[in-house]
Amino acid sequence: MSRTNKSRALAGPAALVALAAALFSVLVWAVPAPAQSKASTNVAAKAPAKVAAGTVANDAGGTIAVSTNPATITAGQFLYDEHCQACHGSGAVGARAPQLLDVGPAAVDFMLSTGRMPLNSITQQPLPGRPYFNKTEIAQIVAYINFVDRSHGTPGVGIPKVTPASLSEGNQLFLLNCSQCHDASGAGGMLSHGYVVPSLRQATKEQIAEAIRVGPRPMPGFGPGQLTDQQVSAIANYVYYLAHSGNRGGFGIANFGPVPEGFVAIIFGLGLLLLVARLIGNRG
Amino acid sequence: MSTVAERSTARKRALLEEKVLDEIDDRLGTSKWLRNAMDKIFPDHWSFMVGEIAMYSFVILIITGIYLALFYSPSGSVVVYHGPYAPLDGQKMTQAYESVINLSFSVRAGLVMRQAHHWAADIFLAAIAFHLCRVFFTGAFRKPRETNWIIGLTLLLVAMLEGFSGYSLPDDLLSGSGLRVVFSIIQSIPFVGVWVAFTLWGGAFPGTSVFFTRLFVIHEFLFPLILLGLLGAHLGILWHQKHTDFPGPGKTEHNIVGSRLWPQYAIKSGGLFMFIAAIVFGLGGFVQINPIWVYGPYSPARGSAGTQPDWYVGWLDGALRLWPHWEFRSFGHEIANPFFPGILLPGIVFTIMYAWPAIDRRLFADNEEHNLLDRPRDKPLRTAIGVGALFFFADLTVASATDLIGNALNISFELLIEILQYGSFVAPIVAGVVTYKVCNLLNAQNAHPIQRPVGGIIVRDARGAFHTLGAEHAHEAHDGDRHGNGGDSGHGGEEPGLEAAGLEAAGLEAAGLEAAGLEAAGGEPAGG
Repeated sequence: MSRTNKSRALAGPAALVALAAALFSVLVWAVPAPAQSKASTNVAAKAPAKVAAGTVANDAGGTIAVSTNPATITAGQFLYDEHCQACHGSGAVGARAPQLLDVGPAAVDFMLSTGRMPLNSITQQPLPGRPYFNKTEIAQIVAYINFVDRSHGTPGVGIPKVTPASLSEGNQLFLLNCSQCHDASGAGGMLSHGYVVPSLRQATKEQIAEAIRVGPRPMPGFGPGQLTDQQVSAIANYVYYLAHSGNRGGFGIANFGPVPEGFVAIIFGLGLLLLVARLIGNRG
Repeated sequence: MSTVAERSTARKRALLEEKVLDEIDDRLGTSKWLRNAMDKIFPDHWSFMVGEIAMYSFVILIITGIYLALFYSPSGSVVVYHGPYAPLDGQKMTQAYESVINLSFSVRAGLVMRQAHHWAADIFLAAIAFHLCRVFFTGAFRKPRETNWIIGLTLLLVAMLEGFSGYSLPDDLLSGSGLRVVFSIIQSIPFVGVWVAFTLWGGAFPGTSVFFTRLFVIHEFLFPLILLGLLGAHLGILWHQKHTDFPGPGKTEHNIVGSRLWPQYAIKSGGLFMFIAAIVFGLGGFVQINPIWVYGPYSPARGSAGTQPDWYVGWLDGALRLWPHWEFRSFGHEIANPFFPGILLPGIVFTIMYAWPAIDRRLFADNEEHNLLDRPRDKPLRTAIGVGALFFFADLTVASATDLIGNALNISFELLIEILQYGSFVAPIVAGVVTYKVCNLLNAQNAHPIQRPVGGIIVRDARGAFHTLGAEHAHEAHDGDRHGNGGDSGHGGEEPGLEAAGLEAAGLEAAGLEAAGLEAAGGEPAGG
């Protein structure tokens, strides 16, 4: 065997390994970065608990209490004036962005804890990201807006309390009401006019329940006449289970169904086999 | 060098083998046929093994499929699930869906077998598609191999239907949504559509309880038997007509250069099978595919974003998405919209593909028998048409993923559809024209598209001077007429000794090329 042939014989398997490694890294890259999800989960999961600490419950059962402590409200107003007022107006009466006089704690907590607000540009669709405020700050702003809304006589929607519920009921309700846009796996999708349907796989149970009740546009809100508190809890529990029960059967390829599956089959499956055929085939 | 002991062992083994083979031959008379078969020559080129990837995937599909069939229950009757998967507990579902859930969660090795089956199906179709491209772009379908082209296309068609029927068996949300689309497409056939759809489903969608039994029989017996029969014919004809090969040193229209079936080729082929099994089961064990428990049992009231068919049906799904909302009415009859992208388009596509050997014959006025293949660049027009068609299919396939692409790239859905609608015309034309130009350019430069072009061969003439013989020089030496130098003598006096060196180059090729670290492009010796 000549020198050239020997080096080619080595080059083949090396290329095979390199391609496999490259494909694997692409697959790994395709799933959302864990750092971000961890951050948003941590902040948001503890936010409602923080809100409840040392405060007076001021709403009916089924919602989490919001602080009415004047110090907290003042701190919230300070943050509001600094970060929100430019668009939502002084005293939340609305300016370039909508007024917040009747939105209630659920909407504020949802928008802030999922990192949707503050928004860079008011023409943007608010999409989940890394939260700008920490859990204490979020609780303060929630308290301030809650104070403003109550003073205005329109308290809005409280932060729903998620109770343990049947996964089976959640599964059925989710597939009947949510998966049309959010995908059966909760991976998200696309609407018309460029609106993105976000993935639910990073969301906490409380955020899911808030979104159902509030309806962050273009998503419709589901009031108590459409889904009871128990049903909202069931959906929230199921969606959280969906994303945190592990992918049975192996790596989930971003949980987007047949398209990434076909991609893997062609690039990883057939691609590797073509390389193998290339290695085997040209030998006499 | 073998020792005496080794030689004696080998002799003993040979004697034993001979005895066993004699016993078999006495009863079955197989040795005469085997002697011929084992000496059959298979050409050595990697692209000829892609068909085998498809064949071995099919073997794996049969093996895993038999295992799955042991546990699948083709019944549309409704049961209540009580099992280990909590989110489905207490839900009503068809027995078909329940059996696949149990297969996935309660049967030992059930999930890995099911996933391997699905991955093997995706790879099966991918290998068929690649094999089809190889045959098309190298002109391997030309006389006398038109029959095998037609059989191969039928294999592709049946494999697609087989894949789709398998996708539909579990009766999950994806299955049901896919069947809903297909039901509507069949319904859209003018005059007969409704009758055909109702006959297949045994009534209006989602059909009566007979439907899953039918689907199972189709997936389990009808299509696999057709595939097996056609595959047998495909291989039988290949065996009879012998394999094609690329032109090269020592290769003519009437010979085959390569490895014997036994032992070289059998070992290569067996090795390939091992790799295929490893990759299919590796994917089956480590990468999730079609998690039907996530989709839930099918109910017409439910739906899911990101509902796509498996990749090989993607181009038809894409066609449905891209087709404009036109309506046609004539004689008081409406031709329903899905008919055009769902029935007419694949009809036209497959008709053209079936007719391609005849079209190709006319296009190149070539009715000769061909056992040596074209390189894609040798027929720029055919290659351009093929690449154009691939871009067309790619555009449609991308269209079936519009919602995912829109989500990932944050592009408006409407804009994406519009881009792909224009793209289905523009992309094939642009790709075709570019391919045509590239083919001509490659022909003009005689360069290999991937490998480094031949830089030249360094030879030493009788006087001790060194000369570089590049592709151009080699060409000149043999194509004197073109340069007006006349006759075989080739060159004038400005490069004395070059011609002699040029003739030598052919002989020196093996040593010279290696020494210079160069490779001959396309396997053609530079010196002629």
